[in-house]
Amino acid sequence: MVGLVNAEPPENAGEYKNVLIFLETRQGKLAKPGLEMISVGAAIAHKVNEELIGIVMGNKIEGLVQEAGEYGCDKVIGLKSKDLEDFRTIPYSVNLSELITELKPNILLIPATRNGRDLASRIAVRSKTGVTADCTELDIDPAERILQARRPTYGESTLAEILCKRHRPQMATARPGIFSVPERDPKRKFVSEIRKTTIKKEFLKKEIVSFKPKSTLDLTSAKIIVSGGLGLGKPSGFKLLEELAGEIGASVGASRPTVDMGWIERDHQVGQTGQSVRPDIYIACGISGKAQHIMGMRLSKNIVSINTDASAELNSISDYIINEDLYKVIPELIDAIKRRKSGEKKPAEAPA
Amino acid sequence: MTLEIVVMIKQVPDSQEVVIDPVTFTLNRSAARNVINPADENAIEAALRIKDKEKDVHITVITMGPPFAETALIDAMARGVDDAILVSDRAFAGADTYPTGLTLAATITRMGKFDIIFAGEESTDSSTGHVGPGVAEFLGIEQASYTSSTWIEDEFVYADRELEDGIETVRMKSPCLITVLTNSNVPRNPTLRMKIDSIKKGIKTWSLADIGLKPEWVGLKGSPTIVKSMRTINEKKREGKKFKAGEMDKFVDELVSKGILKL
Repeated sequence: MVGLVNAEPPENAGEYKNVLIFLETRQGKLAKPGLEMISVGAAIAHKVNEELIGIVMGNKIEGLVQEAGEYGCDKVIGLKSKDLEDFRTIPYSVNLSELITELKPNILLIPATRNGRDLASRIAVRSKTGVTADCTELDIDPAERILQARRPTYGESTLAEILCKRHRPQMATARPGIFSVPERDPKRKFVSEIRKTTIKKEFLKKEIVSFKPKSTLDLTSAKIIVSGGLGLGKPSGFKLLEELAGEIGASVGASRPTVDMGWIERDHQVGQTGQSVRPDIYIACGISGKAQHIMGMRLSKNIVSINTDASAELNSISDYIINEDLYKVIPELIDAIKRRKSGEKKPAEAPA
Repeated sequence: MTLEIVVMIKQVPDSQEVVIDPVTFTLNRSAARNVINPADENAIEAALRIKDKEKDVHITVITMGPPFAETALIDAMARGVDDAILVSDRAFAGADTYPTGLTLAATITRMGKFDIIFAGEESTDSSTGHVGPGVAEFLGIEQASYTSSTWIEDEFVYADRELEDGIETVRMKSPCLITVLTNSNVPRNPTLRMKIDSIKKGIKTWSLADIGLKPEWVGLKGSPTIVKSMRTINEKKREGKKFKAGEMDKFVDELVSKGILKL
């Protein structure tokens, strides 16, 4: 507990060095959002001749520490305890903040997953520092060693650069799915250390009584999305979209009103209160394009709008506009795709 | 003994009414009404559901904001919240998540006994999700973030946390802080009768002096981060090429030949 005090900057801010990265584990494995930060974390550290130090917490972590090094951390520190087996806010934040006090990192990166954000919020207050949430670009000013943390704001319309000049560590969380997981190299050289730790009973008051694995639809990593709005007119309209999606390997998205009407499950919702997506192609079917929907999909590489309403707002940000009844044109589109697929198979079959 | 619940809310521009400027792609928020942040409506509902079920529950809703944020508090009271406090002072302007959390934690401390603090998972206008857990750290209490339901059983607080790979049920003793997911319940509507009663009852307004923090600890001055610059994310030029019914083969050819669609 920090008590009700302000964020007083340290006098020795200049002495803080290296980039610390929290590698989240999920069900005994290193989770992808943490690995995604290794390349960018290493680039920032190496630009100022510092090291990228990976932190892994858990119980059986020997293999994970090795893995973190092979993915590109210069140094890996494992904190080992049976009480760290599953993520819990207080034991994780107490241990990570003790490491921060000891190592004095200039920068701390944490994935912007649910547990990552849960942890980052508490660490920022514990360390009396600032944190920039959900970054999509990270860089460093090499002269001042100031982290340039950039995040989309105002509904993905603006990129804000946020600095934390006097407080340490400079913290940022990185949005999952933006940076790529680096290649794993089993021959990579790195330093590692595993420390056994014990957690005080007073920090273990929250118990996890059960965990039910559930696969939720992740639209953020989808390459193609076929999405439906109220223009579908009826819940069964999504059946047609599923058929189209099946032909082109797409995921099915939805506008908020269709979800509110119970036409489709909540995890399909695209938009400000749903998922923010940026697929290669977004096919909007019967979606008028309220701002809250557009904010969640406007960074799609290509946008197709199928709508009877020629004045639909979504048309103004579309690469392709099909101003037709979707029940007429989508079956035609499915047939055209089938023809194209079978047409292209022929030459490959011929030489045999 | 009364179970004291605090709900922390924020007033935001209604995202249903925010208009995107077609040229600059920035948001025009001036046209939008101010409403309770959507996830905070779910947080209020989560608190009210505990009040529906348990005996002797008292709920206070608090917000840090400008004087006109009073309307959000009245709206919350009209749904069944007992009391409301607006913490408002020019000194709070420009706060990032650290001083915002500090201000709310100081407000709750000044209020006295509390058992459960609810907050929305994040606000639609800044979307960090850092303030709720930050308050828990200032107060040194347990937390469960990203929850879809909360209930009390055998003197324990239970919550379902919805994570990327599953649902985790946690159990803890109060005092604790819970952040509530957007859309995790259906918020009840304020009634006209209760709205009138709430306006009559009124809210409390506290200033910086009331919560005992120093002026340089809050607002912009107390913020570790600064916004250095903002740039519009360049909107790609979109051609809006038109295709009609009967031209779907041509359309598929176009997508495939440009490498947009791989079949």
